[in-house]
Amino acid sequence: MDAQLQILSEFSSSHHWMWLWPEIVLAALALALLAVELLLPKSDRWLLRISLGAQVAVFAALIAGLVGGTLPTSDVALFAGAIQPTLSGHLMRIFFVGCSILVCFLGYLYLERRPLARAEYYHLVMIVTAAMMLLAQITHFVAFFVALETVTIGFYILVAYGRNSSYSLEAGLKYMIMGGFSSGLLLFGIVLLYGAAGSPTLIGPAGDPFQFGQLGAVIAENPGNPLIVIGALLVIVGICFKIGSFPFQYWIPDVYQGAPTPTTAFLAVSSKSMGFYLLYVLLTGPFLGLQSILVPVIGIMTYCTIAFGNIAALGQNNVKRVIGMSGVAHAGILLVGILAAMRGVDWAFQAIFFYLITYALASFAVFGVMCHVAPDEDANQEREHYFGLMQNHPFLGGVLAVGLGSLAGIPPLAGFVAKAAIIVAAFQAKLYLLVAFVLVGVVVSIFYYFGWLRAAVTNPHPEIQGEPHPVVAPSVGSRALLAVLALASVVLGLYQGGLLS
Amino acid sequence: MTVGLFHYLAVSGLLFIAGVLGVLLRRNVLVVFMSLELMLTASISALVAFSRFNATPDNPMMGGNVFVLFIIAIAACEVAVGLAIIVALWRRRQTVDLAELKGMKQ
Repeated sequence: MDAQLQILSEFSSSHHWMWLWPEIVLAALALALLAVELLLPKSDRWLLRISLGAQVAVFAALIAGLVGGTLPTSDVALFAGAIQPTLSGHLMRIFFVGCSILVCFLGYLYLERRPLARAEYYHLVMIVTAAMMLLAQITHFVAFFVALETVTIGFYILVAYGRNSSYSLEAGLKYMIMGGFSSGLLLFGIVLLYGAAGSPTLIGPAGDPFQFGQLGAVIAENPGNPLIVIGALLVIVGICFKIGSFPFQYWIPDVYQGAPTPTTAFLAVSSKSMGFYLLYVLLTGPFLGLQSILVPVIGIMTYCTIAFGNIAALGQNNVKRVIGMSGVAHAGILLVGILAAMRGVDWAFQAIFFYLITYALASFAVFGVMCHVAPDEDANQEREHYFGLMQNHPFLGGVLAVGLGSLAGIPPLAGFVAKAAIIVAAFQAKLYLLVAFVLVGVVVSIFYYFGWLRAAVTNPHPEIQGEPHPVVAPSVGSRALLAVLALASVVLGLYQGGLLS
Repeated sequence: MTVGLFHYLAVSGLLFIAGVLGVLLRRNVLVVFMSLELMLTASISALVAFSRFNATPDNPMMGGNVFVLFIIAIAACEVAVGLAIIVALWRRRQTVDLAELKGMKQ
């Protein structure tokens, strides 16, 4: 009995709830939002203000904590080894809060024009963000799976949020089937790893095989065990569904098209970045012992992802599908960074993180413009809607040009530097063929991004075009936000500060 | 014959494969949904079997058994949200057949 008590007290002595305050604050405010809506009906603006204000405060406090060194970045394991604060984890937490702020704002633009529930949107975005922030620090598969499912189930609702649109519901159903399937594969992989790594017949079985560190030690001792190999592959497949790498990308076009535009942005940026960070943590952590099997698997996947994403994006006319398919191509380039990290390039995480930042800035600029151009049926955003945008709304057209240019990697925008950093990392990892492949992919991507931009620049004859597509004039707030996003894409292209060192 | 770890794993593997095939091949959304739950059930049974057979006097391996409770709770959440989406879609489209849900193909 005493021994058990001692285990319990050792467990509880590492429970430092204070160190998880950003997640707790976000989750508590998400709940408070529901109460605010109940108490103050017709309070659209207040809902936005509260959620934005809280998240900006958390964002600023996290950055201050990181700069001031008050965030724990030591090797202390919290919650009996379930949570491990790391510097990269803190950077991702800040990244997720930043994305969440932008998603909430886009959500306001979307909800403003539609008869849908308000508070629940911000509520879900904040809950999902809190779960993502937890995921960035988790080193235990039970907590990992629970947090990942919080994200996934939150996304089911966010994708199907446009309840009055059958496209949105259809996308929600497809995302749910895909998400449930990938979670099922991932879970089975976790179970196989648990069973194999805890088996007394192996060399040095783990006491708690769910814990990444102990699991990694077992895997390093027994890299050839079939259960371990299958389990690790299943876990990676489950995560690859989230990042949409080939051949797990088939859900992307339909879901991206049907989901409300802010949710599409959330999926394209936050969910994908989360997947990449998890992949990075697992592949350079517990799965390090399986390199000889995983490097070729991920290598082949990278080639296919870049090729498929770029080719498929060429044939799309709906701009949300273009974004989805080009996102697959971006996932391929990020996978190159992951491969470089697996082959021991120590600054590969900086390259990946910088790429994620530039991708987020450019994507949110483009999505912000899309929110203004979108017709009432959010799924039908065709390239033709952009005809004459540059002339009729030069501001939106300019932001679109900067965003698409950065996504395509045109110098001197930030996307160019990010792609260059990944390519240099791949070069250092001696992935020469892959570097050539990435360069071809970048050239192809210029075609479809500029096809979209050309639509915005051309001004077809009024007799052919008829009335120009109605565009919502941006308010002062959205003008300011879009300008900041576009400026950041330009500035980060010229000056990277300490982000790449 | 004593029932050992291998037998439990065989059953759970078969359940898992049945679930995967059901998701990939069936066209009725409700059957697909059931198959998803089957995949989770396969994981649960394997978890309990592993916990039972890997346990030693020093290490009772309770982690796996506790994880089962989390999985059940998550599966319940998934069902709650999933059925809500299916019902809402049924009201709009009067169909739950995946082959007919192709509103967004170009």
